[in-house]
Amino acid sequence: MKIGGSKEIFEQVLDTDLCSVCGACVGICPYFKVHSGKVAKVFDCDLEKGRCYAQCPKTGVDFEMLSQNYFNQPYTDKPLGTYQKIVAAKAGDMLQGDRFQNGGSVTALISFALESGAIEGAVLTDAEGLIPVPKIVENAGDALKCAATKYAAAHTAAAVNEAAKDGRTNLGVVGTACQLTGIAQMRANPLEKSDFMDPVSLTIGLFCTWSLDARKFKDYISGKIDPATITGMDVPPPPAEVFVVKTGNSTTELPLSEVRTLIPNGCSVCPDMTAEWADISVGAFEGKKEWNTLIIRTARGEELVNKAVAAGYLKLDEFSAAGLDHLTTGAGNKKKRALKKQNQEVS
Amino acid sequence: MTTELPKLKADPYNLIITGVGGQGNVTASRILGNMLSQMGYYITIGETFGASQRGGSVMSHLRVSAEETVSPIIAKGQGHMVIAMEPTEAIRVLADYGNMEIKVICNTRPIHPMGVIAGEQAYPSQAEIEERVNDISGQAWFINATDEALADMKNPVYGNIMLLGAVAATGELPISRDDFEASISETMTADKVALNLKAFDRGLEMLQ
Amino acid sequence: MTALTDPKSNQHHLVMGNEAFARGALEAGVAVVAGYPGTPSSEIVESLANVSKERNLYVEWSTNEKVAMEVAAAGSFAKLRSLCVLKQNGVNVASDFFLHLAGSGTRGGMLVLTCEDPGALSSVNEGDSRHFSRMLEIPLLEPGDFQEAKDITKWGFELSEALKCPVMIRSVTRLSHASGNITFGDLPETDHKAEFKHDGFILDPDTGPMISAPVAYKHGLQQQKVQQAIKMFETSPFNTYTGPGNPELLLITSSACNLYSREAIKLLGVQHRVGLLKLGTTWPLPPKLLEKHLRMANKVLIVEEVIPFLEESVKILAMELAEEIGIKKFFGKRDGTIPSTNELNPDIVIGALCGILGMDYAGLTAEYSEKANTHLFLGAPAREGTFCAGCPHRASFWNISQALKLDNNEGFVCGDIGCYSMAVLPAGYSTLKTLHAMGSGTGVASGFGKLGQFGMDQPVFSVCGDSTFYHAVLPALVNAVHHKSDITLVVLDNSGTAMTGFQPHPGTEKDARGEEALQMNIESICKSIGATVRVADPFDFDETQKTIFELMGMKGGVKVLVLRQICALSPEKKGIRWFDVVVHESQCLGENCGCNRLCTRVFKCPGLVWDTEKKVSKIDDAICVGCGVCSSVCPVGAIENMEVK
Repeated sequence: MKIGGSKEIFEQVLDTDLCSVCGACVGICPYFKVHSGKVAKVFDCDLEKGRCYAQCPKTGVDFEMLSQNYFNQPYTDKPLGTYQKIVAAKAGDMLQGDRFQNGGSVTALISFALESGAIEGAVLTDAEGLIPVPKIVENAGDALKCAATKYAAAHTAAAVNEAAKDGRTNLGVVGTACQLTGIAQMRANPLEKSDFMDPVSLTIGLFCTWSLDARKFKDYISGKIDPATITGMDVPPPPAEVFVVKTGNSTTELPLSEVRTLIPNGCSVCPDMTAEWADISVGAFEGKKEWNTLIIRTARGEELVNKAVAAGYLKLDEFSAAGLDHLTTGAGNKKKRALKKQNQEVS
Repeated sequence: MTTELPKLKADPYNLIITGVGGQGNVTASRILGNMLSQMGYYITIGETFGASQRGGSVMSHLRVSAEETVSPIIAKGQGHMVIAMEPTEAIRVLADYGNMEIKVICNTRPIHPMGVIAGEQAYPSQAEIEERVNDISGQAWFINATDEALADMKNPVYGNIMLLGAVAATGELPISRDDFEASISETMTADKVALNLKAFDRGLEMLQ
Repeated sequence: MTALTDPKSNQHHLVMGNEAFARGALEAGVAVVAGYPGTPSSEIVESLANVSKERNLYVEWSTNEKVAMEVAAAGSFAKLRSLCVLKQNGVNVASDFFLHLAGSGTRGGMLVLTCEDPGALSSVNEGDSRHFSRMLEIPLLEPGDFQEAKDITKWGFELSEALKCPVMIRSVTRLSHASGNITFGDLPETDHKAEFKHDGFILDPDTGPMISAPVAYKHGLQQQKVQQAIKMFETSPFNTYTGPGNPELLLITSSACNLYSREAIKLLGVQHRVGLLKLGTTWPLPPKLLEKHLRMANKVLIVEEVIPFLEESVKILAMELAEEIGIKKFFGKRDGTIPSTNELNPDIVIGALCGILGMDYAGLTAEYSEKANTHLFLGAPAREGTFCAGCPHRASFWNISQALKLDNNEGFVCGDIGCYSMAVLPAGYSTLKTLHAMGSGTGVASGFGKLGQFGMDQPVFSVCGDSTFYHAVLPALVNAVHHKSDITLVVLDNSGTAMTGFQPHPGTEKDARGEEALQMNIESICKSIGATVRVADPFDFDETQKTIFELMGMKGGVKVLVLRQICALSPEKKGIRWFDVVVHESQCLGENCGCNRLCTRVFKCPGLVWDTEKKVSKIDDAICVGCGVCSSVCPVGAIENMEVK
């Protein structure tokens, strides 16, 4: 893949509305910054090759290289990516909290990883009002505070870049496909820096079909509901076509068709529904609100899951063939849509 | 004017003091101008200041005549001497006002233009500057007045006085150490006069 | 320089043109002097302020040129000789009052002395104010050398008093900021008495009210004064002729162009072919004098800056006198013989003469020129203007431009006049997107801030300096607040009128004469008008950017942010180092991804240079003033501020 610089990333991604604000280009240098949910180039950098371009998931991605790095095997174009097993999971008895979107598995895994010392810190996503912001936590209590889905795009990868600059290591990261793709490219040391140290030792992916432009989302919601009163949000499974906003003790349903207009254009070219570049990927379990679908992809991931179960942080259950079928179809459809859109963009 | 005035090497004798805004070329031209005016010559000085102080190129055209007040701007190619407080400014001035007889006294300490600091342009080496200046002048002297002034006197502005001393040493103008002392004593305190004389003497030395 | 009040008259003093003007005013017994700083005029007021006690003068830096002219006019109405000093921009600012002053007339001699800037060495225009004299029908004088600068000023007061109207004197940079030898005259007594008589008959010029009505009558009076001036100009010693009785070419000139023309004639050796008519009284032109000289030659060259004002006046006369003098062939700006823009110099006049007289001349030989230009191109990198080391504007625009980029809504800044005007250049990160006159930044922004009804959602900012604030921004700000325009004004308060030499203004403690004045406070004024106000230090990047975002988040209405940090050249700050700044070479990332020379390639302070051998940044200790701001710029903390021992 030919690596370009800031000029190319601006022309190919930022200026063509393909940016999904994953943050892979931010936190490396003073030229790209995120403010209030949007990436901005504050000055011109004239380097011909930059980590910004190399790490961006919307400029070319070398799947072959990533597959070798993560799985020691060639890239598979199976809809769910490379994995070892898929199970149903939910937070175990060691966790209390009603902040879980669904099964709470992500919070459970991260809490366990922190408490057991498997990782020294975790890059999660917090929020300032309706604008998501990345956050590095060092204990389970803080991890719990970051629970619950943020539907707006967060520049989580930026925090990983910052952590690398600070010389931190052995961090866990929770992110969606674009964020983790960016991070995966970063971990491959694309500019071959001799002093490179991989800050990340564990990645947990989140299933994602689309996210929302943070600024537009903030404006849309603020026009209808006071952001300070919001306690949670949810998108119930089809056939419901609504976006649910919970405030205090009431619920507001907004038409999903309206919310879809806030999806960044960059999401439409994304082929990855289940976050393939991760040790473990987690999503909703359709039909069972209190459970998650959990995909174990690597040995590291398997080890963590087993230990978490043994320590009472996680509970597992079977994942049916029908469920697998359904999941595969969903992921496959996203790939098809993405390929179709990419061809349109090119032509 | 009095007929006892020493004859100038040319009438009018055209001197250009050049540098970067803020270096003190206006003060230097005043000191030199005053010295010669007090001797009885007609002096005309043309300057640029204001916006150009902020890092731009500046010039003072200093013209000495026994006969009359002349234009504050020298005509092209009519320069007799250039005093450059910044070396590349010497080249810039010579391109408009130089000729193969012109004399140049050049301070060697560079001030980088913003284009050079930003990496858009290269700044020539000292050797290159000397070669270029020598190619388009009659005689040139290169002295590191700023570094001397910083080391010796802790203030780069005394470098300008050293350059005036160097002018005296060339014998191109009928100015002496005594004329300098008399002129500055009118407006400066005794301790300032001493410092300026020290710088002037150093300039005289550096050319010999 | 010679002391302005040196009583040694008839001695050979070396003075700046502006000092010659000042001396002329002193010799005329001026009592009231008012102006607004503007290059190249400022030294006139400054040098008179310095001797104000000694010579019993009232000297004022007024809020703006209109007020300055009004203040001087008051002096004149009270029978004192008064001087209003400005540059071409200021004549335009004062023009409303100027128009009515020409109508009301004056009492004590009053001069409007404008020092102009052909070639715009220190302006963003090269306007030519001479047409004001024709437009307002008042006499115009232009000194042609340094001695005349003094003498014509002294005479100008007498002329004004004789005619009871203001007299305009026009100078240019190459006279005002140039120096030459003059002889002084005597200084008069200084026991001036002010008295404003106003109870007399309404039309009495000495005892009635000072008004421009009844208009047609007063206008008629003005025109009579113009006729009187013409009579005096016919024999004025400021109109001189040098040359043969029947030259091949008559060269008519005025102002500094006189010196260029003399030089050109001398260098070409054509004193026997060219007659030089130097005019000091350039409006109204004395027809008999012009007739006498126009008869002498068939070809006439007019050399002037900037617009063909003199050329047009001469041509009108020539048409009226055509039967007496015959048809002439004119050369000047209108036919392209003289360039129509920019300042002139001896070489331009030489070129014109060569063309008309059929001569060749080369100042530089072709061979020398080629060699020298090659050396220039390859060996002398171009120099652009930039903010001084330690300038707070650099920090202010660093913060403002980043905030606007991060906001990502194509926000922009309307610029104003001062050192900070340079922020149209990369030196100020090309932040300013409009630039016109004093106060126009906020005026234009006030307009932009009301375009929401047409779908304009780009954040609108304006900037101004502290002096500019009082000069012209206030009415625009009142307009914006009253009309609820959605804008943010950033006042760059560096505690003085910096561009022109750090003169005082209503926000400073002292006045032009160094006496205590009532100091005003910008934030209080803005608050009382009804704006939302914040104050921050531009050297504190975090606080400044946070405050800018806070204000940008407030939709609707006027926000004012005062960024206060003193100018690096101010007498209080100059030479004082806060820090010894050092770049730690081993930590500097330099050209690598992650920095790419942010400090030297983008921030661009002249005190921070790039070491091409070691490939790191370093401090230039001859230029760095130790403000410590660059340490906040470095993305890896390689720049350290160490306490000065």
